[in-house]
Parts: sequence; C-alpha cells; structure tokens
Amino acid sequence: MKKKNWFLVSMLLALALVLAACGGDKGKESSGGKEKEKEEEKVDASAFPVAVENNDEAIKGGTLQVALVNDSPFKGIFLAELYEDAYDDKIMAFASNSLYDTKEDFLISDKGIASLKVDADNNKVTVKIREGVKWSDGEPLTIEDVIFPYEIIGHKDYTGVRYDGDFKNIIGAEEYHAGKAKTISGLKKIDDHTLEITFKKLSPAIYNGGDGLWGTAAPKHYLKDVAIKDLIKSDKIRKAPVTLGTFKFDKIVNGESVQFVANEHYWRGKPKIDKVVLTTVPSTQIAEALKAGKYDIATSYSATNYDGVKDLKNLTVLGRKELAYSYVGFKLGKFDSKTGESITDPNAKMGDVSLRQAFAYAMDVEQVADEYYSGLRSRSNSLIPPVFSAFYDDTLEGFKYDPEKAKKLLDDAGFKDVDGDGLREDKNGKKLEIKMAGMSGDDKDEAMMQFYLQNWKDVGLNVVLTTGRLIEFNSFYDKVKADDKNIDVYMAAWGTGTNPSPLGLYGRDSSYNYSRFTSPELDKLLAKIDSKEAIDPEVRAKAFKDWQIYMAEQAPVFPTYYRTEIMPVNKRVKNYNKDWVNATDLNVLELTAEEPIK
Amino acid sequence: MWKTVLRRFLVMIPQLFVLSLLIFIMAKFMPGDPFTGLITPETDPNVIEELKIKAGLYDPWYVQYYNWITNAFQGDFGDSYTFKVSVSSLIGERAMNTFWLSLLSVILLYAIAIPLGILAGRYQDSLLDKGIVLYSFISYAIPTFVLSLIFLFMFGYHIPIFPTSGTVDVSHDPGTWGYFWSKVYHMLLPAITYALLATTGVIQYLRSEIIDSKSMDYVKTARSKGLPISKVYTKHIFRNSLLPIAAFFGFTITGLLGGSVFIETIFGYPGMGQLFISSIASRDYSVITTLVMLFGFLTLLGSLLSDIIMSIVDPRIRIE
Repeated sequence: MKKKNWFLVSMLLALALVLAACGGDKGKESSGGKEKEKEEEKVDASAFPVAVENNDEAIKGGTLQVALVNDSPFKGIFLAELYEDAYDDKIMAFASNSLYDTKEDFLISDKGIASLKVDADNNKVTVKIREGVKWSDGEPLTIEDVIFPYEIIGHKDYTGVRYDGDFKNIIGAEEYHAGKAKTISGLKKIDDHTLEITFKKLSPAIYNGGDGLWGTAAPKHYLKDVAIKDLIKSDKIRKAPVTLGTFKFDKIVNGESVQFVANEHYWRGKPKIDKVVLTTVPSTQIAEALKAGKYDIATSYSATNYDGVKDLKNLTVLGRKELAYSYVGFKLGKFDSKTGESITDPNAKMGDVSLRQAFAYAMDVEQVADEYYSGLRSRSNSLIPPVFSAFYDDTLEGFKYDPEKAKKLLDDAGFKDVDGDGLREDKNGKKLEIKMAGMSGDDKDEAMMQFYLQNWKDVGLNVVLTTGRLIEFNSFYDKVKADDKNIDVYMAAWGTGTNPSPLGLYGRDSSYNYSRFTSPELDKLLAKIDSKEAIDPEVRAKAFKDWQIYMAEQAPVFPTYYRTEIMPVNKRVKNYNKDWVNATDLNVLELTAEEPIK
Repeated sequence: MWKTVLRRFLVMIPQLFVLSLLIFIMAKFMPGDPFTGLITPETDPNVIEELKIKAGLYDPWYVQYYNWITNAFQGDFGDSYTFKVSVSSLIGERAMNTFWLSLLSVILLYAIAIPLGILAGRYQDSLLDKGIVLYSFISYAIPTFVLSLIFLFMFGYHIPIFPTSGTVDVSHDPGTWGYFWSKVYHMLLPAITYALLATTGVIQYLRSEIIDSKSMDYVKTARSKGLPISKVYTKHIFRNSLLPIAAFFGFTITGLLGGSVFIETIFGYPGMGQLFISSIASRDYSVITTLVMLFGFLTLLGSLLSDIIMSIVDPRIRIE
C-alpha cells in the first residue's frame, strides 16, 4: 500500500514538472485575481526599443546564430520570383536580391541599388541601377538582371502566384504571356544600367513598388540556361543560389539549416562578421533555446509567449508595430462569381448600422489586450496600421468599450427585449440570434471568445458560435469565402503588406471583400486613393482619411487590435536596428563575444 | 510457400485499390485546398483561381482520381503543392531520415528490452523483477510527448549534451566522417527516448514466455539430463520465448519507415511522421495520398513478412 502511494506522488511530480515546463505563467494570469498584480503584468508596448544598445568592444568576425522558428521544415525555394512560403523569404533576407530601399511609409528611396524616376503623365518609370554592383559570384549586375525577373514571371510556363492583375499592367506583359511576343514590349533597355518601363496606368502605389513594378533582380548569367518550367526544381535556386545581399549561401541542409558566409562583393562593403548560421527551431523550444544562449536572434517570436523571455538577463527584447490588424466583419451580402462583384443585401441580418456599431461598442477589447496579451496587442481605431504615418488617422475615435452607448444605440434603433428573457429581439420583435465565426488557435482564443460572448450578452445581444465552437483555419476561410449562411459575423486578421491601398480588400470586385459591403460612396472613396491626382501625397493622405472616416461610420468591418511584434536579441549583438524606417544593414552588425551570452 | 506469397501479393492489389479510393475521396472532403494558405491581400484572387483550374481541382473527383491513379501506376505521384518537388523525391529524402532514426531506435529498443525481459523472467518475483516491471509500466504510462519534452529540456538545455533539433550540423560536408558522426549524434536523443518508451511490449512478452517455459517439460528434461541452468536458458528457453517477438518483427521492419509524429515534431527531426502531419495541415493532396498508400502497403507487407519469419523460426508453422 505504501509503495503505491509513493508511486502516485512521483507521477504527480513528473506531471507538475511538465506542466511547469510548457505552461509558463499561464496559471498565474487566470488565477491572479488581484487588481494590483495585473497592473504590474501589463507592459507598455510602445516602450520596447527598436535597436540594441551595446557599447562593448566588438570581436573580429564571429558567427551570428539565427533561429528560424518553424514547426515544419522550410521549403527551400530561394528565388524571390518563385518562393511562396514566408520562411523562405526570412531566410533569403540575409542574401537579398532586393533592388530598392524604402523610407517612411515604405516609399521607395534612392539609397538602394536602384533608384526610380516616375513620369506619371506618360505612365512611364525609369529604373537606374548603380554601377559596380556585383553578384556573389563576382559577375557584375547589369540591367539584364533587372529585366530577367519580368521574363520569368510573365513566361507562359511560370507556375507561381505573381502573374497577377498588377503584372498585366505592364504594357506587353499579356502578349508575352500568351506566347505572341518574344519580349515584353513595355520594357525598354536604355543602356547597361537604365531601364524604362511603360505601364497601362500609374497610381500612387508605384512609389510603394506596386502597379506591377518588380522589386528584385535575378542573376541572368547564372539562370538563363535553365528552362523556366524547370527553374523551381533547379539546384541553382535550391542548393547554390547566386545573390546580391550582405551574405551568400554557403551550405544548405534541405529543410533544416543554412550556413551563410560574408559576401566579399557586397556593394555596401563586406560585412563585419564572417558567418551566419540559421537553424530551424520548433516553436516549443525557442524560449528555452534563447535562454540557454544557443541563438542570437529569432526570426519570429510569438507574442503570447512573451513571459518566456521578458526577464532574461542575456536578452534584449526589441519590439515594433506589425503591418497587420485584427478585425471583426459583418456578412452583409454575397459575392456573385459570375459578374465578379459583391452584392450587398440591404435586408441582411446585420444590415442595421446601429446594430453593427452597438456590436462594436459592446466588445471590451482593451481588457482582452491587457489580460491575454499582456499589452502586446492594443485596441485599434482604424483599418490602416499606424506604421503608415502619412495615411493613418490618429484622431479617429474607434469603438471604445462603452456598453451604455451600445445599449442606447440598440434601444433607439428598435432592438428591444420584448419577451423579457434578457435578450433583445429584432426590430419586428422576432428572436435575434447572431452567428459568430471565430478561428481556433491556442486555448487563449477559446477563452477570449467566451469573454466576448459574455460582453455581448451584457448588452442584450444573443451571439452564438457558428458550428458551436471555434473553427479550424482552413474551414474558417472556406466558410467565410463561400458566404456561408450560418455566419453573420466573423473575426479575422489581415496583414497589409507594404502597400496600404485598401482597394484589394474592400473593393466592389475584390473577392477578399468578405463582408460584401459595397456602396457607390465607397467606390468613389477607394478610387480616389489610387487615382492619378493622389500621386500628390497630400491628396492621397486626405483620400485615406475620408475612407477611414466612412468605414468607421458604416462599420461593415471594424478594427479590434494592432499587434506588436517582439524580437528577442542576445546581448552580444551590436549595431542592430529593426525600425521600419531606420533599420541598419546587416553589414554593420557586430558581435561582442565569441559565443552568445548565456 | 512461394505460391502463397504470390497469392498474398495478388490480394494486396484490390486492397490497395480500395484504400486509394477511400483516401482520395476523404482527402478531397477536407475543407480548404493547397492554395488557401497562400492568400494575402497582395495575392490576386484570380491568380489563385487560375492555379486551381490548372491543378485540376475543379474537375469532378472521379476525373481527378483517374488522372492520379493512372500516373501513379507509371510511378509518377505528381508534385507536392507546397514543396514544389516531385512527391517521390520528397518522400525519398524524408524516408531516409526516418529509416536511420527508426533503425537506431529499434536496435536500442531490443538492446534494452531483451536483457531486461530475460532477467525479469528468470528472477521472477525478485526485487530486480519488480523493478523492471515497474519501469515497464511507467514507460507504458508516460505519453510520448511528455518524455520527449522532459528529455529535450533536460539533456538539450539544462545539461546540454545533445543537439536539440535537425538531423545534422550544417557546417559539415556530406561524405566526411564528421558529417556521419553529426548525423548519429543528432539521432541519439530521439532514438533513446523512443526506445525507452517502446520497451513494454517486448519486456512483458518475453518475461511471461520465460515464466511459462520454466515449467515446461522440455526444460525439466534438459535439467534432468544435467545441463547447467544458464545453458538451459540460453539454448532452450530463450529461443522458444522469442517466438511472439518474431511474430511482430515483420511489422517492426516495415514500421521503420512510418516514423513517429511526436518524436519528429518535438525534436525538429524532418521525417515521415512530420511530413504526414504537415501535408495534412497544408492540404498537400498529392503527398497525403501517396503517404497513406505507402503506409498501407507497408502494413500489408509487414504482416506477410511476419508470417514468413514465423515459418522460418518455428518449424511447426508452414504457410500453405
């Protein structure tokens, strides 16, 4: 009998160890009821530095250890024109073929390899590359290498996702794709360092690298002998890519790790460190690995695991605003795939503006951001992330948590509790059941959704989950895309990329306009943002502002959080800045110790 | 016997056919498709539609199935939607990783389990026996991912004596001694974890067989002839007690390629188990169907192998 008890105790101990190992401080958050404790746990997201501060003397050379946080092997397609997986992009960043540098609001600057001159009246741009830039194999970069990517993407055998509406904006692209022309007629080589591109039409997006302008070069001298249809499987892009960036590929273990060495031909000068070793690390291990000093930087770090790194002495945690927002959308119509247009149904269940606004006011987004994300999410007021400083409207009120206002809006609009069950009926006195679709993720998502359901109940709205539970990612988008009639409201997120134009997400003929909200007014506002007059930054800023105000009034979708991305960095790293505007080039990065600090 | 083997192979064909039909239809029932994950505001929805049409995803399922099965018969399993390489080369690469890891695991498993099973059976009811039985129950009760995580954090981070992810260190060139050793070194911790967890079956079978055999007439005869007890164990009891283990050996061999989802995921070891799970998550149809067909084939082959092995080690059994 005694023995048995001992056995039980040891099992419990083992279990407790595991829970402690993977649970982190989760328990504390849900049980720590004292207000004061919560106050302390909340972090001020704006207080994160964007650059490391390290004044120690640098060592000569050294190897930067990078953790690629990924739960499955990377795909290993190292060509900007062909890759599809975001992890491949993160790897390529160390040996980037990128031509343009950007300044505020991701507008193209003239500090990069290539500079851009726009002739809006004639729909022409002139791309000029620096002289003396060399590929990692020592061959000079010529304008042919700038034209080559267009010939890859436009080719009839191209299988990637980048032959799109934007690309067809280049004159002659469609003829080339159909095989009717040998070259793209809109691309005109002026000399070895100058290219003139003619477009069908130009919009302000050209300054963000949109409208069909392509942002990277491809080594024509190296890849020209490979047929386009074989390119994606070729060892020349999978095992031994030739690149322009700070480092060059040295060794690749497929799916697992990459060793880069300094690129002695790098046009900004040879980097100060010798090597970069990038290793795939499962997300379960990353906090422990950083703590143990195995890596200097991680390519991504989940905000929900912030507790795992926040008090570590060997790390500096950098932070910056992400180019993304979370939002809630209302299903207000259907997408007609025949005409390719969204058709708004004025009688949709959520068709009443007051109902939508009340729905938004009832959500206590602030508390969720603080409680579940320890402040790494913040309530958002606009559908444009604040990173785009020229276009973001910080004067917008947004839908601040205000249950009283929500109740008043509903009362005034005629949504009253007729039968006295504590839940409101619709305007005609019929029962109102709002079906909400949410995406499943970790256990926090479940808890947050329950919290919101209670929020809505508090103002008398009967909100239930579509399918009764949170929905797995793929099914979720399948249902949202198909305008499933069991979805009245859905919660999702968009990454905006570096071109803030909302046309692709909210336009009448965009299938990504999942709320299916359209109006002549909206068409006008969207067209204004991408119009030719808007090439004048002031006009464009005004157009953005008008659109944001209109969207806030109509609330077909409303923003919930902005996200702060956190980046733990080992204390031996010097001269490292991740600011969106002032980021340092990797060639100045230095290390101040032989091994990462433990 | 060869006739039987041939017949068993022929029976496999309709079995595999039914399996392929089932898995193909079920895979198509999954919500989403390989292109769902590609969507960002910057991808043109029309491009995605075109890619889907090109990939034949809008054809009726029987047309898709017919195309797939006719190509599969010619050894062409298509390209992976996510990795953009042919499925056979993708699986080939992962299968090698999994094969070596599983082989090491199985060797370690038998190296641990067989001596423990024999000792437990021979010294039945002693303190040693009780210790071994206790160990085997504990190892049976601990979920794989729990022990994997504990070992990983213990021996990967707190006492950092083992590497924590991958199959090899990137700094070595293939073909060198350092490369080979690095591969083995990366395999050790996952293999030990797997071996420690999988011993229960072997230990328990071996132990009870030995205990049963001890009271058998042939053992008494051997003893009465004057054979020393250790010889009775090694020559008579051991051989007979291995029979149930031999019965599973066919499955063990083919199971080498199956891989373990938990171990491979936690140790970041790119093998078949991990490929299977990630291809389901990304709806990589061509990979999913090929893998299930492969696993199905291996299971059938394993049972056949087990029967053949049994007939070799136990002369009383004949396949007719």
